[in-house]
Amino acid sequence: MSVARKALEMTQAATEAIVKRAEARYDTHRQEIFRTTDRTFAGLMIGQWLFAILVAMTYSPYGWQGKVKTVHMHVWVALILGAAITSLPVGLAWLRPGEPLTRHVIAAAQMLWSALLIHLTGGRIETHFHVFGSLAFLAFYRDWPVLITGTLVVAIDHLLRGILWPESVYGIPNPEWWRTLEHASWVIFCISFLVLSCRRSQRDMQFMAEKGAELEALSENQWRNSSAVERAANDEHER
Amino acid sequence: MTSVANVVDPARKGYDRVVVPAPEGGTRSLSRKQFEGLPLRERVSYLIDGTAQFFLDGAPISPSDAMRA
Repeated sequence: MSVARKALEMTQAATEAIVKRAEARYDTHRQEIFRTTDRTFAGLMIGQWLFAILVAMTYSPYGWQGKVKTVHMHVWVALILGAAITSLPVGLAWLRPGEPLTRHVIAAAQMLWSALLIHLTGGRIETHFHVFGSLAFLAFYRDWPVLITGTLVVAIDHLLRGILWPESVYGIPNPEWWRTLEHASWVIFCISFLVLSCRRSQRDMQFMAEKGAELEALSENQWRNSSAVERAANDEHER
Repeated sequence: MTSVANVVDPARKGYDRVVVPAPEGGTRSLSRKQFEGLPLRERVSYLIDGTAQFFLDGAPISPSDAMRA
């Protein structure tokens, strides 16, 4: 085999190895972010469940049926529906952390939490801020499709409840017909920046992984160009 | 006394031009953005072979200095 041919093969092998390590670094970094964020949301879901029960018990703890005082329906809704919304994402975060399905289920559940809290507070406009806070938290994944899932869930919820049960979402029985569109526009305004931010973060992570590969390549070149004596000295030093 | 290192704008460090082998033979000159836009495999192989020449303001610089920024 000629020297040139051997050198070419060595370069190809080194290139492959360096590129593979860069890809692995990038994937590991992303997985770490996904898993950490899954765990954070699992904790948040449980916290929201407890908070929802507290809200229901504070706002409307009891109802009246004739002369009989009963626990208000909202307390049961917070307890049972809250458990239903929480259980799947928490289970997935525990059993399948880092998987795409987990974070999309978490995004949908987080928006359902917004919907439930809005309902429990009688459609208070301030509780709608929970939607925007949740979208910002979802951006922690640095994975923009998750934001689309969240947006779709909250848009469908507002649209359906706006038509079927407007008091539940806006606190009034006859909101303007365009109220849902107004809310949706603010959500789109919010996510358009979050999507850009996610994409930029992803590019930065890729850039860092590639920078590492370039430095490795440079080091490989320096090693090849060093003399045998220098290599031996270096080996001795490392020992 | 002010050293040269102190008067160099840190944002200007690195490289602004790279000359790499062209696929059809000869060389091609790329801006930093064009070089960073090349597939990683290609950039890595140029760096391993030492066939990429880096420049800042028209002056050649070593690959180590180029990669520093």
